[in-house]
Amino acid sequence: MIPSDHFVRFYNEVFKFLDEKGELDEYFARIAKNQEFFCLQQFKTGGLQGVYDYYLKIRHEENCQMDIVFEDNELIMKMTRCPSLSKAIDNDAGVCSKYCQHCLGWTQRIYDLAGLYQIFDLGDWDDPTCCEWIFDDLSKAQARFEEIAETVPAERLYKNF
Amino acid sequence: MLRYQENNELHKDFHSSTNMTLDYIAGKYGVDALKMILRRTGRRVYKSIHDKLASGDASELVEHLNWFFMREQGKYQLTVEEDKIVFEVFECPAQKHLRKIGQAISPYSCLQTSEVNNGMCEDTPWQAELEIVAPGHCIQTFRKVVKK
Repeated sequence: MIPSDHFVRFYNEVFKFLDEKGELDEYFARIAKNQEFFCLQQFKTGGLQGVYDYYLKIRHEENCQMDIVFEDNELIMKMTRCPSLSKAIDNDAGVCSKYCQHCLGWTQRIYDLAGLYQIFDLGDWDDPTCCEWIFDDLSKAQARFEEIAETVPAERLYKNF
Repeated sequence: MLRYQENNELHKDFHSSTNMTLDYIAGKYGVDALKMILRRTGRRVYKSIHDKLASGDASELVEHLNWFFMREQGKYQLTVEEDKIVFEVFECPAQKHLRKIGQAISPYSCLQTSEVNNGMCEDTPWQAELEIVAPGHCIQTFRKVVKK
């Protein structure tokens, strides 16, 4: 058994294998399918509140250092120390430089299905920090994106709208 | 001493991600590709255990088995002799969790154990064996082989 503590280091080896083949995105879609089991219904029925509640649990279970702010129909999740990337970096096998892409790869698909809008500053692959902004209103998401794009480099900024 | 010192909260749903990944890789790329990734994980991620085994020292392997199965509330018995380690898992914590959340257990579930163990032992004096006694119940044996 690979301990649940060590799953991300196994994941990281899978990413390296798939990256060599240029086939990471198909796997990210499969991860999203698996994640539907854990959170899609909660996101669909609860909207932003459902996302907020889900990440409160995840922050605890996965030992995230993450500030979560939920006000005015905007949910901001600022990861100050991602436990997943931290483990992938603290790893004798070395980190896959596309490690963070998996998070974008599955969350975008889930938010699409839940009718939510995501802006994601993915940060750098060797620094375990990132920030997500989630909205249930497209115009609000677009306006926020314009603001964020002024300060965050375009190559690390993603959105699903 | 353990190279990876996890001691905080557990997120057992990661077993679901591992389970899905075993099926995904074996289904799309074949069982040999899956074995290769698992062996690499055993040898490279657990480099510290591997390197100690190569020098004849099984202490970190023993600590690893004990610590992480204890954290996952596994039911197991660990017997350590000079040249033989027997680790009997009476109820696999990963499979137990998958059953609890209602997910089908991958037919490659036990391969993660056998191949990661093989990777840890690769090019060392130690050899790993896995005997499946019943679903969720296995005996993992590590033997120090004296080459003639």
